[in-house]
Amino acid sequence: MSRVTEKIDLAPVLTPGGQVVEEARTAHRAPQSARRRRRARTGALLVTPALALIVAFVLFPLGFAIYISLTNWPLIGSYHYIGFSNYRELFSDPEFRHAATFTLTYTAIVTLPIFFLGYALAVLLRANRFGSKVFRTLFFLPFVVGLTTESFMFAIELQPGAGWVDWVMSHLGLASSTQAWTVTHDRTLLTISLIVIWFASGLTMLILTGGMQGIPRELYEAADVDGASWLKKELRITIPLLRRSIALSLIISVIGSFLAFNQFFILAQNNASLETVVEWVYQTAFTSYRLAYGTSMALLLVIVIGVVSMGQFLMLRGEEEQ
Amino acid sequence: MSGVALAPAPPARRKRKRGVTFYAYLVVCIGLALFFVLPLAWEVGRSFQPANLAAATPRFADFTHFTFANYRAVFSQEHILTNVLNSLIVAVGTAVLTTIVATLAGYGLAKFRFRGSGLAFAAILLALMIPFQAVLTPLFIELNDMHLTNSLVGLILVYTTFNLPFGVFVMRNTFQQIPQELIESAEVDGAGVMKTLTRVLRPLIVPGLATTAIFAFLYSWNEFLQALTFLETDSKLTLPVKLFDIDTSTYGAINYGYLSSGIVIAMVPCIIIYLALQRYYVQGLMSGAVKG
Repeated sequence: MSRVTEKIDLAPVLTPGGQVVEEARTAHRAPQSARRRRRARTGALLVTPALALIVAFVLFPLGFAIYISLTNWPLIGSYHYIGFSNYRELFSDPEFRHAATFTLTYTAIVTLPIFFLGYALAVLLRANRFGSKVFRTLFFLPFVVGLTTESFMFAIELQPGAGWVDWVMSHLGLASSTQAWTVTHDRTLLTISLIVIWFASGLTMLILTGGMQGIPRELYEAADVDGASWLKKELRITIPLLRRSIALSLIISVIGSFLAFNQFFILAQNNASLETVVEWVYQTAFTSYRLAYGTSMALLLVIVIGVVSMGQFLMLRGEEEQ
Repeated sequence: MSGVALAPAPPARRKRKRGVTFYAYLVVCIGLALFFVLPLAWEVGRSFQPANLAAATPRFADFTHFTFANYRAVFSQEHILTNVLNSLIVAVGTAVLTTIVATLAGYGLAKFRFRGSGLAFAAILLALMIPFQAVLTPLFIELNDMHLTNSLVGLILVYTTFNLPFGVFVMRNTFQQIPQELIESAEVDGAGVMKTLTRVLRPLIVPGLATTAIFAFLYSWNEFLQALTFLETDSKLTLPVKLFDIDTSTYGAINYGYLSSGIVIAMVPCIIIYLALQRYYVQGLMSGAVKG
């Protein structure tokens, strides 16, 4: 604000006509406020395309979803208002309950391994020793390539008797080549979880590395002087100062797991016991043609995800205020 | 956005001898590097094997049967070139559109005062919290009514929208670091908004532009569920959906040779872009506005 007022005082030359000092001050505010109005209009204009897209493809569909969820909208054909019956049906639907429980189980399985592996990788490369930049790049490559492509890759490699996964495991004595990897529930869940940990830990590594580089080296040096152990330094210095990065990496990881679709859809299509919430929404809406019913579930998902990412939102806002 | 460079000055290791710890570190890192990279590298090797070997027990000797047969077939039999081009159009289109729209909005939010700017920023940040999966069904109906299903343009518009919250956030941060005086002096010299942006500010915002563009490109190149939902005919499919079609082929046995070469085609652009523009990608991650 102060900068703007300074600017006004610096521009008396622009005022048309010579008035008494008192009047002049109010008079030359006119072109200034015109300029400010013009800038305000420009600013609003600049933001308009972004807002228009967000209203058209995020906020409007969200409102529309609420409306759809109160009808019996099929994929094609007529529909009418049915109140909250979709939601009532949802809570007594064993298929949906299974998908929700399964998604939570999957999230519980992968979240901590991803975090700890990512943390270990970040610590390993923290000192910027020889080659650490190259290693960081290599560890992150699975995330760059993306889980969709990699799911197809493992569709090949998980074949019994032909893929390398099976070959390696049977040489380690952990499997016999006769059984497919994606047949039983437990085995598929374990395999997909391992793939996801392999895929996602590099992301956690990079987020934590960014946070670690903001910690002043002197803190560790002072702790060394005091003879602190490695563990003590991690617990007393690194983790408290890394709170924001840790929270961010966990939030991103949990949201990613809640929204899991690709890896299960590609690797375990035929296994109904491995259906995630998003898969259930997709199948209900586009395979069973019960668009409204699927939508009501998607809206519950918005609420759950909203609560989790509120943390991210608050962190971004908090940064604004600093 | 501060402290984004991942490699500050290396610690003083001038005279220190490389002891046991160093070699242990090196061994562990090489082991981990193999763990992360070998599955990807293996697939590249696999794609150059004759297709019949994909169904046999893996042996290293198989890699001596080097052949382009899978690639030739995937282009001639599966006409994958169309799908590669579709993916390229969508990814480049999304990257360009996202960057332009996010730059304008970021500039407006960072450097202009207007009523409702706080609200606009809040709306954009709120959109960060809404995953596309949650509005997949209403989006399908909406796009269908607008005749934008089975359309690359429709896909570009949707991809752009879901990349905007991140892009606007990055661009707004970028513009906030530019001194107001620079913009004002450009305006005093008579430059309009667009001229100021493209002539005076462009060199200063290149890192932000690169970050926004890379994220939008990689997102669109890899995206699967929306493409699967919104696209129908074979000639409109993007690469990931095409791979799904090959993987779930109804014409009999799945050809894993075709699939592996398709996978490599999908993989390579991501790796090249990441390696070339790594710095900007990492800066984006550090902004904190990444989606899960």
